[in-house]
Amino acid sequence: MVDEIRQFLLESLTEMKYSTEDIDDGTVLGPAGVDLESLALAELAMRVEDRYGVRFDEDEAETFAAMTVGEFCVAVEHRAQAASAM
Amino acid sequence: MTTSVRENVAVTGIGLVSAVGGAVTEVFDAVCEGRSGLVRPPADHALHGVVDVAAIGPAIDPESVIPAKDARIVDRSIVLAVRAAGDALADAGIEVGRDVDPYRVAVVLSGVGGLGTLAGQAVERSRRGRLGVSPFMLPGTLPNMAAARIAIRFGVRGYTSSVGTACAAGGQSVGEAMRILRAGDADVVVCGCTEAPLFPTFADAFGNALALARGWSDPTVASRPFDRRRNGLVLGEGAGVFVVERPGFARARGARVHAEVLGWAATSDAYHPTTPRPDGSSAAESMRLALRDAGLSTGDIGYLNAHGTSTKAGDAAEAKAIRSVFGDGMPPVSSTKGVTGHLLGVSGMVEAAISIMVLRNGLLPPTYNLDDPDPACDLNHVRKEPLPARVGAVMSNSFGFGGHNVSLILGPAS
Repeated sequence: MVDEIRQFLLESLTEMKYSTEDIDDGTVLGPAGVDLESLALAELAMRVEDRYGVRFDEDEAETFAAMTVGEFCVAVEHRAQAASAM
Repeated sequence: MTTSVRENVAVTGIGLVSAVGGAVTEVFDAVCEGRSGLVRPPADHALHGVVDVAAIGPAIDPESVIPAKDARIVDRSIVLAVRAAGDALADAGIEVGRDVDPYRVAVVLSGVGGLGTLAGQAVERSRRGRLGVSPFMLPGTLPNMAAARIAIRFGVRGYTSSVGTACAAGGQSVGEAMRILRAGDADVVVCGCTEAPLFPTFADAFGNALALARGWSDPTVASRPFDRRRNGLVLGEGAGVFVVERPGFARARGARVHAEVLGWAATSDAYHPTTPRPDGSSAAESMRLALRDAGLSTGDIGYLNAHGTSTKAGDAAEAKAIRSVFGDGMPPVSSTKGVTGHLLGVSGMVEAAISIMVLRNGLLPPTYNLDDPDPACDLNHVRKEPLPARVGAVMSNSFGFGGHNVSLILGPAS
């Protein structure tokens, strides 16, 4: 599932007009890497909710900035699996 | 009538976006030659089949003026404003930070805001629920965001605001800029207006209010200010931005001055949300107060660019107001909206720019489509052909829904 989430993330970033060149699992989503700012992080959280049916609250969405691509994919996978187990 | 004369302000930069061009010379040629900007909306336009006629501005790629990441949900009005502001600053030869302290530059950039984008987001909300609404909607639509985007794009760090007086907002932005400069609160003000009203919900609101021109097989004759057969305005889009400065500041940096704003005034009808006060008394007082602000008398005005939108009530009320101020000695009067359409708040900027060209070129544009002057609009019309005339001062009127009246007076560079 992580591969599918990574693909979803890259497609989302492209649609959001962020460059996906040179992005790998170690790239940070925030200013140190992809450079997603606050509203873009909020949009990414909405896109995750729309696609996977899991919701990240405001505080959680802000932590995306410090996550790497790999960590983000795992976090979404865990949240989606937890939701489906309920 | 003359009382104290207060400091003029210098117009050193002009940037326009309109259906009849971007360069002020191009716009002036269009209104003098009758090169109409009014068209039937083509099949690929949002207003195709919605309105008979509109004044459609040029396509501008949002990413050409706003970073791509921010440009996905940004209203066209903001894009047009940033483009016009860039053109105006380039025309003035100003780079903020190099030529002027960023904290001594102000922005007053007005308009109704990004209602078209808001309407689109409302549709998405209805279709998809909460997740249909972009977190970028507010920065893409709020009426202050044109001013904010200009500040961000050009590094302006002084006073910034937006005036909300509908179709009087452009003229009033120039007036507010004059107030800021006279108070010594800035050395340079980027002022103007931007409007992007060409989407169905907005157009239908005007149409259902019976304010739009209708039934004309030739779109270029649909806007006919002061004509007996006029039956409404033609919606237009665009942006107009001036760079204005304290004259001493402009002189010190060796700037070329297009013209000076000599005075201005604003009044309110206190009558009705949309219908102008029929006797035109508040509009007349706006003109009188502007004359007083400029230290001029009626005989000093050599040309008056009327608001003249081509509506029955508005044109008649304005004509009454002009006659009550100027009487039989009134200057030549025209409305250039027969060619440009009505760019709402932006019309005040386009018409002030045209007025500057009148001062420079000694040519008064006519009111196109004024074939049969309405007796209720008893004015000293310029009709059919441009009128050569050297004038020392011009007045430009703007009136807005809500009963807002603004008059600007411009004169040549001193």
